[in-house]
Amino acid sequence: MNPRAVITVSALAVLGVALRVAAQTPERPPIIAGCPTENLAWHTCALQKARSFSPPRTSSGKPDFQGYWRSRLTQSFSVEGVAEDHPFVKDPAQRWDVGASEIVEPPDRKIPYQPAAARIGREGTNFREYVDPRTTCSTAGVPRLALQDPSQILQPPTDDHVLWLHEDHHQFRVIAIDQRPPVGRDITTWNGLSRGRWDGNALVIETANFNGYTWIDDSGNFYTNNARVTERLTMVDPNTIHYEATIEDPTVYTRPWTVAWALVRDTTPGGYELFEEACREGDRDLPIVRDLGFKFYFGGPWR
Amino acid sequence: MRHGFPGSILIAALVSLSAVTAAGQTSAIPRMPDGRPNLQGIWQVLVPAAWEIQDHSPRLGVPGGQGVVEGNDLPYQPWALKRKQENLANRATADPESKGYLPGVPRIMYMPFPFQIFQTPTHLAMTFEYAQGVRLVYTNGTPHPKGPIQWWLGDSRGKWDGDTLVVDVVHFTDQTWLDRAGNFHSEALHLVERYTMTGPDHINYEATIEDSKVFTRPWKMSMVLYRRKEPNVRLLDYVPGLLMEEEIGERERRKTNQPRTGP
Repeated sequence: MNPRAVITVSALAVLGVALRVAAQTPERPPIIAGCPTENLAWHTCALQKARSFSPPRTSSGKPDFQGYWRSRLTQSFSVEGVAEDHPFVKDPAQRWDVGASEIVEPPDRKIPYQPAAARIGREGTNFREYVDPRTTCSTAGVPRLALQDPSQILQPPTDDHVLWLHEDHHQFRVIAIDQRPPVGRDITTWNGLSRGRWDGNALVIETANFNGYTWIDDSGNFYTNNARVTERLTMVDPNTIHYEATIEDPTVYTRPWTVAWALVRDTTPGGYELFEEACREGDRDLPIVRDLGFKFYFGGPWR
Repeated sequence: MRHGFPGSILIAALVSLSAVTAAGQTSAIPRMPDGRPNLQGIWQVLVPAAWEIQDHSPRLGVPGGQGVVEGNDLPYQPWALKRKQENLANRATADPESKGYLPGVPRIMYMPFPFQIFQTPTHLAMTFEYAQGVRLVYTNGTPHPKGPIQWWLGDSRGKWDGDTLVVDVVHFTDQTWLDRAGNFHSEALHLVERYTMTGPDHINYEATIEDSKVFTRPWKMSMVLYRRKEPNVRLLDYVPGLLMEEEIGERERRKTNQPRTGP
């Protein structure tokens, strides 16, 4: 029986920029699964540990990722990290948390933007002029969904799909475990269309057909409808997944880049269940944000 | 030359006949490793119940429909019948669908968009192209959480009755309708759904609707879910709220004559 006692009607939408409430940054313990928790150190150590870990398996022998998961080593403000001297850290209206870069490649830990794109992302045009699409109740998209908590992975024993459910705005990702032909480029979707395969103990997810209408983080970092994302999930220990996502988009980046963090199992006593989060139905704040002059995004600056 | 069937053909015929159950249904449905019917796949209704669940003649833009309601009668209480008429008259703005909201249950089941079923021994998930809705049916024996709770798609707990999945759904808001014709319910809505595969590509979907604040007695609707069989068929998304915003964004862009530079 679910012990969660507080039930609310449709969740309120996240407030807009000027009134932005800092998203709760997950705790960052010093060690997870025996590895340090700075993202690059985690990335190297966790993958090393995973090589000698035999994960729990489904009845058909596949690594079993099923259960409820919460991200660690993440913050929502910028994948490039937030330095202590960032003006929003002390700004009472913004209240950004200091945080490490989630980027593990390239070595400078920054998004390898082409020059024009760097002026759109990174608190540029997107951030100054547009409403974060997540504020208008769109999906957080990929890979931003993987740091929204909580999520649930289901693996039907027919081994033909993995279903990743996210409580955040009731999102879901269907991962077809086969190598069916890709869908035509003119089909675009909010979370992309995903195909998965097993690579040893890793689940590899390849996703394309994004509409490019989502932001990667609160800073307005972005990709276009030409993006392709490759994710790898690998268990490090029974309660920890190493998660990485490599993002390619030759329209706006000079090379692919990779983020990495951890997903830890929810161990609420008595069990856990995802609740419905009906964002749009409960939204009261979008008119405020719009009155401040922010435009609906839909890829405006790059389309 | 002997007349009549050779013995081996006769035996084969008897075997295939014996596969038909007493109920007349073929047992040639796909099954999960645990023997349960495998309801997985992409499904969609063909009836135009989303417009109106009762018998209705066509209007411009609205296909005529043979209703999905047993007996074609919706047993409204007198106050509720008046409310339904008001809803119908005001539907262009009063229908929650016009705001891009989740359409509720059972309406999301017969929106003219596909949905996909995933099944494990403990869960059956339905993911909807329409408004990215998700219904997670717990088949692990757990009870509904304690209310009061008002969810747009309710809370679903299922169990098997032979080869039929029976799903009990409660904890609704009163903000959703049953169709575009103003048929509605209250937060007291209680649904019992029955999903029965009648063959590998068809599910018979039946829902008993009980709502003591709106109707004088329970009533039933039923329809067929058809498997989408196109090769490589995928669930896409149709998020009406965001599509409306995209239109607004386009109008704004045109008004301010912003140049559009393509990739």
